[in-house]
Amino acid sequence: MAIRPIIASLSRHRIAALLIVFEIALAFAIVSNAVFLIRERLQRMDIVSGVADHQLVQVQMAYIGNEPDAEARAQVDIAALRQIPGVRDVALINQLPFADRSSNGGIKLGPRQRWNTVHVAEYFGQNIISTLGLRLIAGRKFSPGEYLGFGAVVRALHSDNQKELPHIVIVTEALAERLWPGQPALGKTFYMGNGIQFRVIGVITNLLRPEVPSIGADYSILLPIRISLQQAAGYIIRCAPQDRERVLKAAVATLKRIDPNRVLLKHRTFEQIRHAYFQNDRAMAGILVGVIAALLLTTAFGIAGLASFWVQQRTRQIGVRRALGARRVDILRYFQTENFLLATAGIALGCAAAIGINVWLMAHYAVPRLPIIYLPIGAVTLWLLGQLAVLGPALRAARVAPTTAMRAA
Amino acid sequence: MLEMREVSKVYRTETVETHALRGFSLKVDEGEFVAVTGPSGSGKTTFLTIAGLLEDFTRGEYLLDHVNVHGMNDNQRSRLRNEKIGFVFQAFNLIPDLNVLDNVEVPLHYRHMSGGERRKRALAALERVGLSARLKHYPAELSGGQQQRVAIARALAGGPRLLLADEPTGNLDTAMARGVMELIEEIHREGATIIMVTHDPELAARAQRNVHIVDGMATGVSEEPRFHPGLRERTAGDVSLPRS
Ligand SMILES: Nc1ncnc2c1ncn2[C@@H]1O[C@H](COP(=O)(O)OP(=O)(O)O)[C@@H](O)[C@H]1O
Ligand SMILES: [Mg+2]
Repeated sequence: MAIRPIIASLSRHRIAALLIVFEIALAFAIVSNAVFLIRERLQRMDIVSGVADHQLVQVQMAYIGNEPDAEARAQVDIAALRQIPGVRDVALINQLPFADRSSNGGIKLGPRQRWNTVHVAEYFGQNIISTLGLRLIAGRKFSPGEYLGFGAVVRALHSDNQKELPHIVIVTEALAERLWPGQPALGKTFYMGNGIQFRVIGVITNLLRPEVPSIGADYSILLPIRISLQQAAGYIIRCAPQDRERVLKAAVATLKRIDPNRVLLKHRTFEQIRHAYFQNDRAMAGILVGVIAALLLTTAFGIAGLASFWVQQRTRQIGVRRALGARRVDILRYFQTENFLLATAGIALGCAAAIGINVWLMAHYAVPRLPIIYLPIGAVTLWLLGQLAVLGPALRAARVAPTTAMRAA
Repeated sequence: MLEMREVSKVYRTETVETHALRGFSLKVDEGEFVAVTGPSGSGKTTFLTIAGLLEDFTRGEYLLDHVNVHGMNDNQRSRLRNEKIGFVFQAFNLIPDLNVLDNVEVPLHYRHMSGGERRKRALAALERVGLSARLKHYPAELSGGQQQRVAIARALAGGPRLLLADEPTGNLDTAMARGVMELIEEIHREGATIIMVTHDPELAARAQRNVHIVDGMATGVSEEPRFHPGLRERTAGDVSLPRS
């Protein structure tokens, strides 16, 4: 199929041709950026939490007031919860990834350093590693005797009594790599708060900070501090995925039986927590999918509309071409090639626009650079869309009878 | 060159059946110049569309170059049209979006031919109709006579052996018509077989033979070749090409 005469013919219908080219360019630019943003969101949702996502449930209770026997009561609860068939572990933990509360602190590498090197999430509570299903890759867990009570730690902080404070810590791999790149972390020390020294005794693979910041999402530490319900994000229970619903019900019943006056705030699976956290991302992705669909549909209708008009307008010349020896497939290809040329022009223009939009998004929102791969993907999408949209009119053109050349007035 | 035996063509619509050709028979020899006349609606154009393989017929037999074309598929017909037949229409039928040169190249795009060969042939055809100076003009920028010459160049570019013309001078004034007619006679002298439908008895008289169609049947076929005096004079010696 010779391209030059098609271009020559198009150049005689510049305005209509340019409109379609612009429409395709716009669709290309917006669609490639939108697809990229959707992928970004979806990737965000796939982030590794570090915990056993499918094996955890949470029962959260309202805190009534300062109870002197809070720790003892918690031990009773935990012992009872462990009795529920299918329960593997139970812990009181101060926070969870994606959940609505978080405890953070700054880390300094030297005792007299002025500014914090990084901010980290501080996880405390007994039995965290086995309950959350964290993976220890170096060093050891805290031994039971190393835990300090939360109340005692607070008092020690107020009186600056270093002896009553914890001095050992377990860190995530990402944090270790950030603080001591390329070096083994075990035995290394850092400082928090008022110059309190901590020594690393263990390293775990991942543990997300509850609020999942875009940088340093995995900078978390575990501290050997025992807590009661007051400081906890409720009881965290680990069980097999298929047991979660049953265990949740049984846990609620058990806790109610121990103390009928308790108010249960929430009971949910960790998956539900995670799902709720990404609500906005999902909604945004949904909107973007809608925008893409609407844009592609509009473009397809625009292409099909103009092609239909042109086929109708050229009915006679199609008949003449048929009389002069064009086969049906030659006519079909003419319109397909014409569409391919328009789409190619649109895509070329769209590439520039896509990069422009991305640069603008990068400047105004926290959007990363558009990877080059989205350009060929967008190009193929619009080429296919154009061919699909033009097929109907092109087939109609191919059916124009050769006698049209002789008959039509 | 072509032979039709008892060819019938029936157009059927929901309400009516039109017998455009009824038992139409005609034999045209290689190199003949036949004029087809007849009242409006008698079936002249129908005859040309069938002769030119633009549509199939209902009954009968049609041999083109001794080949039976009945029942040929669309691609085979397209190919034969492209290689053997040139068309000239009353309404010129140039493609308005293409310039003169591109218009003449159109039929050449439908055969395997290099761009250079296409260009060479198109230029030669335009030279022959005397429009070499108008290559980049668009049809709308030409007179009717010039447009019809371009159309003839387009028909000639593919080197057809059979030229079918449906009232080629019908849309032209007398002076332009004369020029076009002379060109057609010129092409005939160079060896092409020509079948021309015309309303004009004077033009018909310049053909070698007249076929009169009435009501879808060939009547009054004058079998004696008739030569126009002017034509005879020129065949005698002068073979120079007409120039515009
Ligand atoms: N596509 C068609 N459908 C129905 N009737 C047609 C069609 N084409 C031609 N006819 C009819 O066939 C007859 C012959 O038409 P045509 O060959 O065009 O005559 P002419 O060229 O001699 O004027 C006319 O009655 C015309 O109305
Ligand atoms: Mg007619």
